[in-house]
Amino acid sequence: MIGRYHFCGHYEWTFSWIESNGGRGLLKTYWEEAIGEDSQRHARSLIIPQGLDGMKRYWQHTLEEEAAGYALTSDEKCLRIDIKTCPSKGFLLKNGLQQHSDSCDDCMGWIGPMMKASGYVVDHQHNHQGRSWREFRKKHDGNGSSDPEELVTDKDVRLKPGWESGPIDSFKRATDADDKS
Amino acid sequence: MKVDLPYTDAKPQGAPDFYFAINVSFRFIEERFGNDGLIRYREQMGHEYFRPVQNIWTKGGLPAVAGYWHAFFDAEPGSEVDVQECDSQVVVSVTRCPAIGHLREHDREIVAEFCQHCHYVSQSIGRDAGISTTVFGGNGSCKQIFSYDKDSEKQQISDIRECI
Repeated sequence: MIGRYHFCGHYEWTFSWIESNGGRGLLKTYWEEAIGEDSQRHARSLIIPQGLDGMKRYWQHTLEEEAAGYALTSDEKCLRIDIKTCPSKGFLLKNGLQQHSDSCDDCMGWIGPMMKASGYVVDHQHNHQGRSWREFRKKHDGNGSSDPEELVTDKDVRLKPGWESGPIDSFKRATDADDKS
Repeated sequence: MKVDLPYTDAKPQGAPDFYFAINVSFRFIEERFGNDGLIRYREQMGHEYFRPVQNIWTKGGLPAVAGYWHAFFDAEPGSEVDVQECDSQVVVSVTRCPAIGHLREHDREIVAEFCQHCHYVSQSIGRDAGISTTVFGGNGSCKQIFSYDKDSEKQQISDIRECI
């Protein structure tokens, strides 16, 4: 049986299997359709009709369940999540697992299209060492990403030691895993 | 024989909703690559991702197989499982499969061939150790028999129930 305890490992291995058998396009379809629309339909059913309130409900539950070290901050226009210990990347790093070239693409791979369907965009950075932040806001509200200390203060993961310990991928008002710079 | 799981996490258990992703991954792969592709995915996972488990089984034989399943199901809450070991085989009796149970509780459509993965993945893990896996039942409860190839029955896939 393949189980939930070591899920993050065989999930990442699956990225590599799909990409090597069907290409990058099929892997992105997997994230969008299989994960975002099918597996995470409970997230979709909260986020699309409820917007920021649905996002809060979904991520509070999920991040607690996955025992992530996180801070969730919001105002009326934006939800921000700072993660200092990503449970997925943490599992891979702890066990020395890396089959896919960038498993961190998974998050934007399924969340991005779901946000697009909801009318939201994502500002996001991750450092490939288990630390990341992301902000969700309406596509047409005109605001860009907040600078450190604008929306949050001591919870901003960019201000913590170790933020620059790995290569940083950045997404600005994005909804696609390939929107990174 | 006590066996430590080769991949460990900082938390004692994984999130139950991960079963959703396992199920949809089977569906996605079967829709794109057919049943043969799904079998290939499962066999390759057993051979590649589970290589550390292969090593445990190869070094420790059937006592290590029993120890592995004890450790595995301890980390999968929601399971009701009995692991028995004798000289020639290990019998894992699953009266409540945690994956099928969770998928049912949440009204998820389960891939018909879901339970076949327990044969294909474990058969692939045991290949180098000369250990075969035969599964009887499925759809929420089953019996899995691990034995050396010379002592094993050949798996009839029709002995594994489809999930409905």
